[in-house]
Amino acid sequence: MIEIGRLCMKIAGRDAGKKCVIVEILDDKFVTIDGETRRRKCNVLHLEPLDEKIDVKKGASHADVSAAFTKIGLKARETKPKEKKIRPRKLRRSKLATKTAAKPEEQKTVKKTAKKTKKKTVKKSVKEKTTETKK
Amino acid sequence: MVEGRKKSRTFRRVKVKTPGGETKVQYKRRKPSKAKCSECGKPLSGTARELPGKMKKLPKTKKRPTRPYGGKLCTQCTRRKMLEKARTK
Repeated sequence: MIEIGRLCMKIAGRDAGKKCVIVEILDDKFVTIDGETRRRKCNVLHLEPLDEKIDVKKGASHADVSAAFTKIGLKARETKPKEKKIRPRKLRRSKLATKTAAKPEEQKTVKKTAKKTKKKTVKKSVKEKTTETKK
Repeated sequence: MVEGRKKSRTFRRVKVKTPGGETKVQYKRRKPSKAKCSECGKPLSGTARELPGKMKKLPKTKKRPTRPYGGKLCTQCTRRKMLEKARTK
Protein backbone atom coordinates (compact mmCIF):
# COMPACT_ATOMS: atom_id res chain seq x y z
CA MET A 1 0.00 0.00 0.00
CA ILE A 2 2.86 2.39 0.74
CA GLU A 3 4.14 3.21 -2.73
CA ILE A 4 4.99 6.29 -4.75
CA GLY A 5 1.81 7.94 -6.04
CA ARG A 6 -0.53 6.47 -3.42
CA LEU A 7 -3.11 8.96 -2.11
CA CYS A 8 -3.22 9.08 1.69
CA MET A 9 -4.87 11.02 4.49
CA LYS A 10 -2.94 12.29 7.47
CA ILE A 11 -4.42 11.19 10.78
CA ALA A 12 -2.09 13.05 13.18
CA GLY A 13 -0.58 16.48 13.58
CA ARG A 14 -1.82 19.89 12.59
CA ASP A 15 -2.44 18.69 9.00
CA ALA A 16 -4.74 15.91 10.20
CA GLY A 17 -7.70 15.23 7.92
CA LYS A 18 -5.92 16.48 4.80
CA LYS A 19 -5.09 14.46 1.71
CA CYS A 20 -1.56 13.97 0.46
CA VAL A 21 0.42 11.86 -1.98
CA ILE A 22 3.59 9.86 -1.30
CA VAL A 23 6.41 11.39 -3.29
CA GLU A 24 9.44 9.47 -2.00
CA ILE A 25 10.12 6.49 0.25
CA LEU A 26 13.04 7.05 2.63
CA ASP A 27 13.00 3.72 4.50
CA ASP A 28 10.51 1.27 6.00
CA LYS A 29 9.32 3.88 8.54
CA PHE A 30 9.47 7.30 6.83
CA VAL A 31 8.17 8.78 3.58
CA THR A 32 8.03 12.22 1.98
CA ILE A 33 4.54 13.59 1.38
CA ASP A 34 3.10 16.58 -0.46
CA GLY A 35 -0.30 17.92 -1.49
CA GLU A 36 -2.82 19.64 0.74
CA THR A 37 -0.31 19.21 3.58
CA ARG A 38 3.11 20.74 3.92
CA ARG A 39 5.92 19.07 2.00
CA ARG A 40 7.71 17.07 4.67
CA LYS A 41 9.00 13.78 6.01
CA CYS A 42 6.26 11.75 7.67
CA ASN A 43 5.97 8.58 9.71
CA VAL A 44 4.06 5.81 7.98
CA LEU A 45 1.98 5.22 11.12
CA HIS A 46 0.53 8.74 10.79
CA LEU A 47 -0.88 8.02 7.32
CA GLU A 48 -4.01 6.16 6.26
CA PRO A 49 -3.71 5.03 2.62
CA LEU A 50 -6.80 5.51 0.44
CA ASP A 51 -8.00 3.56 -2.60
CA GLU A 52 -6.79 6.01 -5.24
CA LYS A 53 -3.42 6.30 -6.92
CA ILE A 54 -1.99 9.28 -8.79
CA ASP A 55 0.51 9.53 -11.67
CA VAL A 56 3.47 11.05 -9.90
CA LYS A 57 7.16 10.38 -10.39
CA LYS A 58 9.69 9.88 -7.64
CA GLY A 59 10.84 13.17 -6.12
CA ALA A 60 8.21 15.21 -7.97
CA SER A 61 8.21 18.94 -7.31
CA HIS A 62 5.33 20.79 -5.66
CA ALA A 63 4.24 22.17 -9.05
CA ASP A 64 3.86 18.65 -10.53
CA VAL A 65 1.93 17.46 -7.49
CA SER A 66 -0.46 20.45 -7.60
CA ALA A 67 -1.07 19.83 -11.33
CA ALA A 68 -1.90 16.18 -10.62
CA PHE A 69 -4.21 17.20 -7.77
CA THR A 70 -6.23 19.60 -9.94
CA LYS A 71 -6.93 16.70 -12.35
CA ILE A 72 -8.64 14.79 -9.56
CA GLY A 73 -10.44 17.81 -8.18
CA LEU A 74 -8.39 18.59 -5.08
CA LYS A 75 -6.48 21.75 -4.35
CA ALA A 76 -2.86 21.60 -3.23
CA ARG A 77 -1.43 23.86 -0.56
CA GLU A 78 -0.28 27.30 -1.68
CA THR A 79 3.33 27.95 -0.78
CA LYS A 80 3.52 31.63 -1.75
CA PRO A 81 3.58 33.94 1.25
CA LYS A 82 0.48 36.07 1.75
CA GLU A 83 0.63 39.82 1.20
CA LYS A 84 0.94 41.77 4.42
CA LYS A 85 -2.20 43.84 5.01
CA ILE A 86 -1.58 47.29 6.43
CA ARG A 87 -4.14 47.78 9.16
CA PRO A 88 -5.44 51.33 9.71
CA ARG A 89 -3.94 52.53 12.94
CA LYS A 90 -4.84 55.62 14.97
CA LEU A 91 -2.00 58.10 15.48
CA ARG A 92 -1.37 59.78 18.81
CA ARG A 93 -1.73 63.56 19.08
CA SER A 94 2.00 64.05 19.74
CA LYS A 95 2.88 62.18 16.56
CA LEU A 96 0.24 64.04 14.55
CA ALA A 97 1.91 67.39 15.33
CA THR A 98 5.26 66.20 13.95
CA LYS A 99 3.73 64.70 10.79
CA THR A 100 1.96 66.73 8.06
CA ALA A 101 -1.26 68.10 9.50
CA ALA A 102 -3.39 67.90 6.34
CA LYS A 103 -4.22 64.22 5.94
CA PRO A 104 -4.67 63.09 9.57
CA GLU A 105 -7.00 66.02 10.34
CA GLU A 106 -9.19 65.11 7.42
CA GLN A 107 -9.41 61.56 8.66
CA LYS A 108 -10.29 62.73 12.16
CA THR A 109 -13.09 65.01 10.98
CA VAL A 110 -14.52 62.26 8.81
CA LYS A 111 -14.60 59.92 11.78
CA LYS A 112 -16.23 62.52 14.02
CA THR A 113 -19.02 63.33 11.58
CA ALA A 114 -19.72 59.66 11.08
CA LYS A 115 -20.10 59.17 14.83
CA LYS A 116 -22.37 62.22 15.14
CA THR A 117 -24.73 61.03 12.41
CA LYS A 118 -25.01 57.64 14.06
CA LYS A 119 -25.92 59.19 17.40
CA LYS A 120 -28.51 61.45 15.78
CA THR A 121 -30.29 58.56 14.11
CA VAL A 122 -30.46 56.64 17.38
CA LYS A 123 -31.91 59.61 19.22
CA LYS A 124 -34.45 60.24 16.49
CA SER A 125 -35.70 56.68 16.59
CA VAL A 126 -36.00 56.78 20.38
CA LYS A 127 -37.96 60.04 20.21
CA GLU A 128 -40.26 58.60 17.58
CA LYS A 129 -40.96 55.56 19.71
CA THR A 130 -41.74 57.62 22.82
CA THR A 131 -44.08 59.94 20.87
CA GLU A 132 -45.85 56.97 19.39
CA THR A 133 -46.37 55.31 22.77
CA LYS A 134 -47.72 58.53 24.24
CA LYS A 135 -50.21 58.91 21.43
CA MET B 1 -10.24 39.13 62.41
CA VAL B 2 -10.68 37.33 59.12
CA GLU B 3 -13.65 38.13 56.88
CA GLY B 4 -16.33 35.46 57.22
CA ARG B 5 -16.30 34.63 53.53
CA LYS B 6 -12.61 33.76 53.64
CA LYS B 7 -13.15 30.97 56.14
CA SER B 8 -14.60 28.89 53.31
CA ARG B 9 -12.53 26.03 51.93
CA THR B 10 -12.80 27.48 48.44
CA PHE B 11 -9.93 29.73 49.50
CA ARG B 12 -6.51 28.32 50.11
CA ARG B 13 -4.37 29.44 53.06
CA VAL B 14 -0.78 30.43 52.27
CA LYS B 15 1.80 31.19 54.98
CA VAL B 16 3.88 34.22 54.00
CA LYS B 17 6.95 35.51 55.84
CA THR B 18 6.88 39.31 55.98
CA PRO B 19 9.96 41.62 55.87
CA GLY B 20 9.34 42.32 59.57
CA GLY B 21 9.97 38.67 60.38
CA GLU B 22 6.38 37.64 61.13
CA THR B 23 4.61 34.76 59.46
CA LYS B 24 1.15 35.73 58.29
CA VAL B 25 -1.64 33.83 56.59
CA GLN B 26 -2.89 35.04 53.21
CA TYR B 27 -6.09 33.83 51.60
CA LYS B 28 -5.87 33.16 47.86
CA ARG B 29 -8.21 31.73 45.27
CA ARG B 30 -7.89 28.22 43.90
CA LYS B 31 -7.17 27.55 40.24
CA PRO B 32 -9.79 25.77 38.13
CA SER B 33 -9.32 22.08 37.36
CA LYS B 34 -7.64 20.68 34.25
CA ALA B 35 -9.67 20.48 31.04
CA LYS B 36 -10.90 16.98 30.12
CA CYS B 37 -11.54 15.19 26.83
CA SER B 38 -15.21 15.50 25.96
CA GLU B 39 -15.47 11.83 24.86
CA CYS B 40 -13.26 9.74 27.12
CA GLY B 41 -12.72 12.04 30.10
CA LYS B 42 -8.93 12.00 30.12
CA PRO B 43 -7.14 15.23 31.18
CA LEU B 44 -6.01 17.14 28.09
CA SER B 45 -2.40 18.15 27.45
CA GLY B 46 -1.40 21.50 26.01
CA THR B 47 -4.17 23.38 27.83
CA ALA B 48 -3.69 26.17 30.37
CA ARG B 49 -5.09 26.23 33.92
CA GLU B 50 -5.47 29.77 35.21
CA LEU B 51 -8.00 32.06 36.83
CA PRO B 52 -10.23 33.90 34.32
CA GLY B 53 -8.37 37.21 34.60
CA LYS B 54 -5.08 35.59 33.59
CA MET B 55 -6.64 33.36 30.93
CA LYS B 56 -7.90 36.41 29.06
CA LYS B 57 -4.36 37.77 28.82
CA LEU B 58 -2.92 34.54 27.43
CA PRO B 59 -2.73 34.30 23.63
CA LYS B 60 -5.04 31.80 21.95
CA THR B 61 -2.18 29.51 20.93
CA LYS B 62 -1.08 28.99 24.53
CA LYS B 63 -4.45 27.73 25.65
CA ARG B 64 -4.89 24.83 23.23
CA PRO B 65 -2.83 22.71 20.80
CA THR B 66 -2.82 23.71 17.11
CA ARG B 67 -4.41 20.51 15.87
CA PRO B 68 -7.93 19.65 14.72
CA TYR B 69 -10.12 19.19 17.84
CA GLY B 70 -7.26 20.67 19.88
CA GLY B 71 -8.44 21.51 23.39
CA LYS B 72 -11.60 19.45 22.91
CA LEU B 73 -10.59 15.82 22.28
CA CYS B 74 -7.53 13.87 23.35
CA THR B 75 -5.01 12.58 20.80
CA GLN B 76 -6.40 9.04 20.74
CA CYS B 77 -9.99 10.22 20.15
CA THR B 78 -8.93 12.56 17.31
CA ARG B 79 -7.00 9.78 15.67
CA ARG B 80 -10.04 7.51 15.84
CA LYS B 81 -12.18 10.23 14.23
CA MET B 82 -9.65 10.81 11.45
CA LEU B 83 -9.51 7.07 10.70
CA GLU B 84 -13.32 6.96 10.46
CA LYS B 85 -13.22 9.95 8.13
CA ALA B 86 -10.62 8.28 5.90
CA ARG B 87 -12.36 4.90 5.76
CA THR B 88 -15.95 6.01 5.16
CA LYS B 89 -15.23 8.09 2.01
